[in-house]
Amino acid sequence: MVREISDRFKEKFPSIEPKEIPYEQRGYHLFIEAEKNNIVDIAGFFRNEGFYLADLCCVDYVDYLELVYFFNNHNKLCRIKVTVKTDPDKPSAPTISHIYNMAHWYEREIHEFFGVFFEGHPFMVYLFLHDGIDHYPLRKKTVPVPEWDRQILNSFRPEEQEDGFFLNLGPQHPSTHGVLRVVVKMNGEYMLSAEPVLGYLHRMHEKMAENRTYQQFLPNAARMDYLGALNFNLGYVATVEKLCGIEAPERAQYIRTITCELNRISSHLLWFGAFVADLGGLTPFLYTFDDRENILDILEATAGSRLTYSYFRFGGLYNDLDENFVDAVKQFITRLRSRFSMYENLVTGNVIFINRVKNIGVMDKGYPIRYGCSGPVIRSTGIPFDIRRHEPYAVYDRIDFRIPTGTTGDNMDRYLVRIQEMEISLDIIEKALKDLPAGPYKAEKIPKKLKPPKGDIYHTIESPRGELGVYIVSDESDVPYRMRWRVPSYSNLMTFPELARGSLIADAIATLGSYDLVIPEIDR
Amino acid sequence: MCDLAAIINIIGKETARLILGLIGVLIIVVVNALVLTWVERKVSGHMQKRIGPKEVGPYGLIQPFADGLKLLGKELLTPANVDKPLYYLAPVIVFIPVLVSFIVIPFDGFLQVKDINVGILVILAFSSLSVLSILIAGWGSNNKYSLIGATRSVAQNIAYEIPLLLSLLPVAFMANSLSLRDIVEVQRQGWFVWRWQFFAFLIYFIAATAETNRTPFDLPEAESELVAGFHTEYSGMRFALFFLAEYTNIFIASAIATTFFLGGYLGPVLPGIVWFFIKTYFLVFVIMWFRWTFPRVRFDQLLNFSWKILIPVAFANLILTGGILKL
Amino acid sequence: MVKDVIIGAISLIKGMGVTIKAFFSPVVTVQYPRETINITPRFRGHTKLVADPEDPEKTSCIVCGMCERNCPSNSIKVEGEKKEGEKKKTLKRYILNFTTCSHCGLCVETCPVDALAFSADYNPSDFKKETFYYDLMLEFEKRKKR
Repeated sequence: MVREISDRFKEKFPSIEPKEIPYEQRGYHLFIEAEKNNIVDIAGFFRNEGFYLADLCCVDYVDYLELVYFFNNHNKLCRIKVTVKTDPDKPSAPTISHIYNMAHWYEREIHEFFGVFFEGHPFMVYLFLHDGIDHYPLRKKTVPVPEWDRQILNSFRPEEQEDGFFLNLGPQHPSTHGVLRVVVKMNGEYMLSAEPVLGYLHRMHEKMAENRTYQQFLPNAARMDYLGALNFNLGYVATVEKLCGIEAPERAQYIRTITCELNRISSHLLWFGAFVADLGGLTPFLYTFDDRENILDILEATAGSRLTYSYFRFGGLYNDLDENFVDAVKQFITRLRSRFSMYENLVTGNVIFINRVKNIGVMDKGYPIRYGCSGPVIRSTGIPFDIRRHEPYAVYDRIDFRIPTGTTGDNMDRYLVRIQEMEISLDIIEKALKDLPAGPYKAEKIPKKLKPPKGDIYHTIESPRGELGVYIVSDESDVPYRMRWRVPSYSNLMTFPELARGSLIADAIATLGSYDLVIPEIDR
Repeated sequence: MCDLAAIINIIGKETARLILGLIGVLIIVVVNALVLTWVERKVSGHMQKRIGPKEVGPYGLIQPFADGLKLLGKELLTPANVDKPLYYLAPVIVFIPVLVSFIVIPFDGFLQVKDINVGILVILAFSSLSVLSILIAGWGSNNKYSLIGATRSVAQNIAYEIPLLLSLLPVAFMANSLSLRDIVEVQRQGWFVWRWQFFAFLIYFIAATAETNRTPFDLPEAESELVAGFHTEYSGMRFALFFLAEYTNIFIASAIATTFFLGGYLGPVLPGIVWFFIKTYFLVFVIMWFRWTFPRVRFDQLLNFSWKILIPVAFANLILTGGILKL
Repeated sequence: MVKDVIIGAISLIKGMGVTIKAFFSPVVTVQYPRETINITPRFRGHTKLVADPEDPEKTSCIVCGMCERNCPSNSIKVEGEKKEGEKKKTLKRYILNFTTCSHCGLCVETCPVDALAFSADYNPSDFKKETFYYDLMLEFEKRKKR
């Protein structure tokens, strides 16, 4: 697959030579150095080949700014990195938001953090930051925001438009997504447009990563997505291990898998309660929290924390399992299996619930390519894309599990996919528990001050919400040069304005609930 | 005591009975509201596998008094641009239709304030007026969200008035009278709920849940998405009055259902009034049970349900009952 | 059409069956603070100094400052003094600012003499912020006296 794409690329763009990169070291297969004048054609080429844009980020090497595009394929693993260099004084690049819709927000983010101006982009306003921030935050040197840029960034003022009836959904919600504000333009009961305004929970994790050593960044990873904290821990630890060439022992890999699957179940349980609570049924929330308490007690006995774990370390784990873990997990599996029929009776079969949720928020198969959706959102449209099968990490290549898919891509399908994922996670945990080997839980001879070799790496894992990608650029010191987190809820949320157009507010709220958003990971 | 007899002789037996009845009704309303707030919290707690209030008094029994004291002590904020007469009037007149309906309900053999021979008409006429107070509250608040909530509530109430009426009429046909005392007495031969009027009972119950704005039909009132309903701008005791009126509405709706379908105060062994309260509070419990089990129905689905399903079935039931009785 | 209504009605009754069953089953909540539950030994409360196994009157801390350097939130301040006639420094004060601690365990892990451990103090609460600038040496002395 890599060879074919490389040949086809060389035919179309004879002047550029794609370099082949060893995948185990860098996490991508091909490296293409593009220029500003052909990046749009390259993006169009990849769009025609059926690739989706996995990530768009920017790295500030002080002499130049480099825009990094990652393309990936849903069917077969082939990750391609395309870079565009631009000069640091007046950085600019052409926009690809007319080819890939998801570049729309990624380019806004790069603009407000680095100052790169994207020509042709229709809406370059503040996404995360706000008026009053005078320097571009993620640049290595202090670069002030020029006046013309400040005017462009501040140009979204819905309160000044007279012909629309604007309403604010949030940032304080009765439903538990986090602090998300959506500016909605209404026409009676119907929504004409919905524009999310983010950044209420922005804590600059990416800048913190440039000021802390690799060891010291460990607690931050869990704070980004507190519901799937072990998965974010695993993403960070696995990326750094891959970069340094450290191999964690077998027992540690199995334990990592088991605890990550437990975390996935607890995240889905909370989503389930919150989703039905959005629709008005307040009781299943309490029932799912009862089940979730079981998981939290099991993980507390092993890892010491209940929500924001920092349990994984480079080369293994912080400590081994405690003696009750295996029995407690087996009891928990039996108990949760017997509860599924209760949830079926209470929620899934309920005619009021079905009418609120079926055929609402329909996403067809064109959305995943344009928006880079991942996780249960893409699986509900019928595409069986799961990173655990696509690019296995930990012990997922040794465990056989089914990938649930939906058919129509409406809210009901997303709901059913997540319920089935919970059942499948229980199966994975059982199989992994059976094969759990004895042995050391930590690799030996890990240096206390980790200094990875020079280079960059991109690694993805499947968090409960979708594809989590970590891109680390290291310059041989013990502090990362740039760490970029590609979070799944960000690209899932991008589909919301298009889906919400023309629908009722009640339906829009139900759709927003079905995405399973966790705003702290969007805002990082 | 002889002074009392003298007073009764002066004002007349009927008037004395009316006054005593009204005092009794007011006591029932207030006590009922206090009891129902406690019952709601306990029922919701146990259905969610937790206990409700427990700190204030044994089993939290003094909780309603604590809530009432708190609400009495809150500041009555009046927003600046409200329509003052309407704004102050709304919480007061929300009680009136309900209190009138209490007059005709037979609590026991002779415990009825006044047995009007068109009792059903009184109840139906005055329960339609409860919509007025909601509209006044929404309009007087001078707030676009309250107005949207109030108009939704008005549409919902109007839509569910009709099945309410259509489901009570077959009972009147079968009892051959419009007076509530006669309807209960006829049920000595068997309660109407299993004497062919089961569907009427269901339709009446669903329509009553919708009339009182309870889940699953509580879109105008719950913390629905962004609109907080017609009582957004009310604070303190005014807000409490709206809620007391809602609980009293629930009680009245259950009391009417008991009288028409479940035999009112009839029952073996225990005195009639005890049976009446047992049956009524059982139906109140069922309404609360609905609230904590079902999600909300969307507004257009709600109206569709009433106009396309409930009204045709109620009509068919009415015509069938009338037809069979004629033959 | 009629079939849909009947199936819908049955689904509603099934849902109601679930809640009424829950109504009559025992509660799952613990009435804290009247009842308490046992905390697992690995719970990450604030850190505490452990006694030196050879000399239970002293801590094992050698005032190297590794925990202070490795803390991601700069919550630790270690002050030691060199007493007369001793080769190594002894610990005078160990200030842990618990309001910024993120319970990561890096200090416990990187200590070369294993002088720190997690305590099981799961419910510290107070009205003043200054209560949570723990001096672990003082706590150690208090525990020794008991």
